[in-house]
Amino acid sequence: MGTIDFERLSEYRYRIPRQGKMRCDAVFYASERILEDLAAEDYASLRQLMGVATLPGVVEPALSMPDIHWGYGFPIGGVAAFDPEEGGVVSPGGVGFDINCGVRLLVSEITREELEERKARLADELFRSVPSGVGRGRKDFRIGRPDLERLLVEGPSWLVERGYGEPEDLEGIESRGRLAGADPDAVSERAYQRGRPQLGTLGSGNHFLEVQYVDEVYDEEAARAYGLHPGQVTVLIHSGSRGLGHQVCTDYVECFLQVAPKYGIELVDRQLAAAPVESPEGRDYLGAMSAAANFAFANRQLIAHFTREAFARAGFGGRPLRVLYDLAHNNAKLEEHGGREVLVHRKGATRAFGPGNPELPERYRRAGQPVLVPGDMGRYSFVLAGTEGSMRETFGSSAHGAGRKMSRRRAKKAARGRNLIREMERMGILVRAAGRATVDEEMSEAYKDAAEVVEVTDGAGIGKKVARLRPRIVVKG
Amino acid sequence: MLDHTADVGFEVEAPSVGELLREALRGLLLVVFEVPPQGDGTEERRVELSAPDLETLLVRWLNELVFLIQGEGFVPVGVEVEVGEGLSLRARLRGVQLDVERYGWQGEIKGATFHGLEVVRRDGALHARVILDV
Repeated sequence: MGTIDFERLSEYRYRIPRQGKMRCDAVFYASERILEDLAAEDYASLRQLMGVATLPGVVEPALSMPDIHWGYGFPIGGVAAFDPEEGGVVSPGGVGFDINCGVRLLVSEITREELEERKARLADELFRSVPSGVGRGRKDFRIGRPDLERLLVEGPSWLVERGYGEPEDLEGIESRGRLAGADPDAVSERAYQRGRPQLGTLGSGNHFLEVQYVDEVYDEEAARAYGLHPGQVTVLIHSGSRGLGHQVCTDYVECFLQVAPKYGIELVDRQLAAAPVESPEGRDYLGAMSAAANFAFANRQLIAHFTREAFARAGFGGRPLRVLYDLAHNNAKLEEHGGREVLVHRKGATRAFGPGNPELPERYRRAGQPVLVPGDMGRYSFVLAGTEGSMRETFGSSAHGAGRKMSRRRAKKAARGRNLIREMERMGILVRAAGRATVDEEMSEAYKDAAEVVEVTDGAGIGKKVARLRPRIVVKG
Repeated sequence: MLDHTADVGFEVEAPSVGELLREALRGLLLVVFEVPPQGDGTEERRVELSAPDLETLLVRWLNELVFLIQGEGFVPVGVEVEVGEGLSLRARLRGVQLDVERYGWQGEIKGATFHGLEVVRRDGALHARVILDV
């Protein structure tokens, strides 16, 4: 389809001027190497970003983070704010199928050396304790329909009250794990059916549980605020709202496709289906999305509980695993930016509030919000901090991960004849996976280097590097 | 099968709508299982659907199948489809119980998407392309 017009604003910041049906400019963050990746995919994801800028009520500019890649409707890594008072819309394609998918980082005072002594035992215990999903749910945890409805409103606090976690866990969760306005009645019967057996399961695809250690600290002060120091063992949990959230997205894309013409919304891509925030359909979706978001927060809470059990069984009993932070990278939230209340969609992008924000727990208010950037399962993940730059330029948002560069099919082909699990073992990383297919598809080479994404994020000032984490155990669904 | 950076897609070709939906089931099973179940299923389900256009019908059909496999643990292996007026379909599905070990579970499908979705009639046959979020 050829090139598109964009101009360089600063070292890592580019602008696509308003053109065609766009209602505002688009801005994206990239390095030279990321630009090459974008060119290699014929700028498909930037074209999606231009599509986002055509939606009614969009607040300038439509944005994408350095981990941008091709999604549907919105690109993954896309951020866009809409003003409800200006006819602003909500779009399920701007949130994604896996509503409130996100990451939770647990920190311990276990050292890397202590971990090495019991690594194999811990890997086995984790694989046994944390089910991956279909046909593999925990038999000892079941939730009835009325309880599930309550959980959709209350989120992880419902679980904590029943002994699945500590009250202080809630402090470390974005929005305390409870989005307001959750409406269990706006969630379809089918979504309940898909979600109910899956609470406390990891899921497949790029979801994982990783035991890591802190191998480098870049910002002493922020690391101290977060309680991070070199050699310390951490656990990163990446999971979402499972079948419940997937079904909510499926249901409402269909619904919005039908109603978009009624509201005069012209769609350049059907997966961009949208409805005004201030419409019955828009309100229903937001109610269902918030319910699915609370399910996702609760899902990570239960997985964290199972993780603690596994650590205890592996001989680390009495060694607490504290929630450093839990944050989502697929949601839409009403927030105040530039003096007005806007609905910020973050699809494959993460909230990154800067220092002083009253939304943050007291202990992080000076350093800014912890931003977790998981990498691939072989290299490293990063902890960053939200900045004044992210508040000023990106509606308080930042990158959410490495981003794929290889299709699953190509990754499988590249893995043929290799034993990735053994290769990882030689690097000192133990892999426990439900099947070989996921390991092959999720190989390191299939992902961009998370360090590249983080360098751009840090260089552009929309996040600040705090620490790097190296994997030692990977559990895959 | 199509290459998509983040997800999985497939293209199918068939002489009629009914055949196209059968082929779509085959495509879905190839995404979900390493060794999809074959032969006659012992269980039976019935599905009725309608849609305003062929593309939406294809998405609804695939989402119905995803629900049966992942939500109910029923894997359809054989299907008889009747397509009536106004794009309504009645299908009789024969299938087996989901067995993740036996059929080589390759991961969940979140949903069939409208992104890049296409159903066109060319040279007397229907060609469809669909991308699944995995």
